[in-house]
Amino acid sequence: MEKNLSFSEAKKDDMTALKVTNLSKTYRESAGDVHALGPVSFEMEAGEFLCFLGPTGCGKTTLLRTIAGLEQPDTGEVIVQSPHYSGEPIIGYVFQQGALFPWMSIFANLEFPLKAKKIAQDTRRKKVESMLDMMGLASFASSYPHQLSGGMQQRAALARSLVMEPDLLLMDEPFSSLDMRTSQELQDNLRELLKRSSTTVLFVTHNIEEAVYLAGEVIVLGHRPGRIVRSETIDLPDPRSRLSDTFTEYLVSLRETFESLVSD
Amino acid sequence: MSLVRVALGFSLAALIGIPVGLLMGASYHARKFLSLMVEMARPLSAIALLPLSIIIFKARTFSQLLGLEYLRYQKNLLNEMQLGMIFILFWGGVFPIILGTIQGVRSVRKMHLEAAGILGANRLFSFRHVIIPSALPDIFHGLKLGIGRCWMVIIAAEMLPGTNSGIGYLIRYSYQLSRYDIMLASIVIVAFIGALFSKGLESLGEKSLVLRSKER
Repeated sequence: MEKNLSFSEAKKDDMTALKVTNLSKTYRESAGDVHALGPVSFEMEAGEFLCFLGPTGCGKTTLLRTIAGLEQPDTGEVIVQSPHYSGEPIIGYVFQQGALFPWMSIFANLEFPLKAKKIAQDTRRKKVESMLDMMGLASFASSYPHQLSGGMQQRAALARSLVMEPDLLLMDEPFSSLDMRTSQELQDNLRELLKRSSTTVLFVTHNIEEAVYLAGEVIVLGHRPGRIVRSETIDLPDPRSRLSDTFTEYLVSLRETFESLVSD
Repeated sequence: MSLVRVALGFSLAALIGIPVGLLMGASYHARKFLSLMVEMARPLSAIALLPLSIIIFKARTFSQLLGLEYLRYQKNLLNEMQLGMIFILFWGGVFPIILGTIQGVRSVRKMHLEAAGILGANRLFSFRHVIIPSALPDIFHGLKLGIGRCWMVIIAAEMLPGTNSGIGYLIRYSYQLSRYDIMLASIVIVAFIGALFSKGLESLGEKSLVLRSKER
């Protein structure tokens, strides 16, 4: 699963969490090759929140899947490293939707990664319970995914990724299937949660507002093949307000870039 | 008596069919290798094999297989378990079970496997906690078809000469004695028990099915 990832031991002052160089990917299909991505290069520091913004079909998901090791790149290299300790870094991945195991209760879903890592039962229990509490899911512990609303399901999926305490969290349009209110609520939750941890997050979305609200840095990805078109640091005070003037300025400016992409 | 025979033959079919199906579902090579054999063997009616199985297994019964030779000429349960009959029950039941299990393993959603991999599960763990639970509804479906087949086979097999017990035997014997009332009653019982098997396995499989079909 992780064949294309190389892990290097972190030096003490090296805060790089993710280094992607010249990554590209072409899908070979019977109808012809689809050059989906790249080449793309970028770096992330530990604790950073980077958001890839791009229209549908720009290779955002391919990028995440390649970093996660679900897809083999044609060229380029992905280096993931944990800044805190040497060893294999833990990568979390939140899918668009529906990745919870429907035959398991929410509790069992959260327990899954800990069980896979052979963590002792009482430690497992404690970790899952505190995560459920933190995410406001405690009362759903014994429910099954289909009994939960879409928003709650994504919340549980996020909780399942966070319970492994990942060094790098990859999020693939995790809130795009939700209505705006629920989506914004989850965005707020995510910001709250990340304040308390040092997780590095790579988030992918086609929603400009979501990107500006969440990210420390936004990279706009152009249309097929996905290439970096623009990179913008979002310098907004915390807590962020979706109504502030600066927020709107970022929004308009990114929208301009975005529109020029689509009309090309 | 028929029930005990079916229980024996069907358990054997499940015991072998499910692991073979899991193997064939999970491994490309196993599927390539075994599917030809399965496809060749499957259309062969179990009843067609009855004479052959009698030749192969003679009139051996379970009491002989277990080395309990002295039980041979007594009337007891083990002595009524003709190996040939158990074999064709196995034959009748095993293929729907294999096919159902393959279908189940193959229909596991790719996203669930990917998620399991990212969450740190190795192949064995994924197999145990992702593939098997998502295959369960189809496995139960295969079991349901399998036990129906077993039930059909046993009635026919018991009607043939060389048997002196079982509901199939009862149907034939009452026919020969012109006791049509007993014959009809037996047929009703056969239908009833068949339905009971089917419903029983269905309700066992229901929970897993509900969980899978409701996923978004």
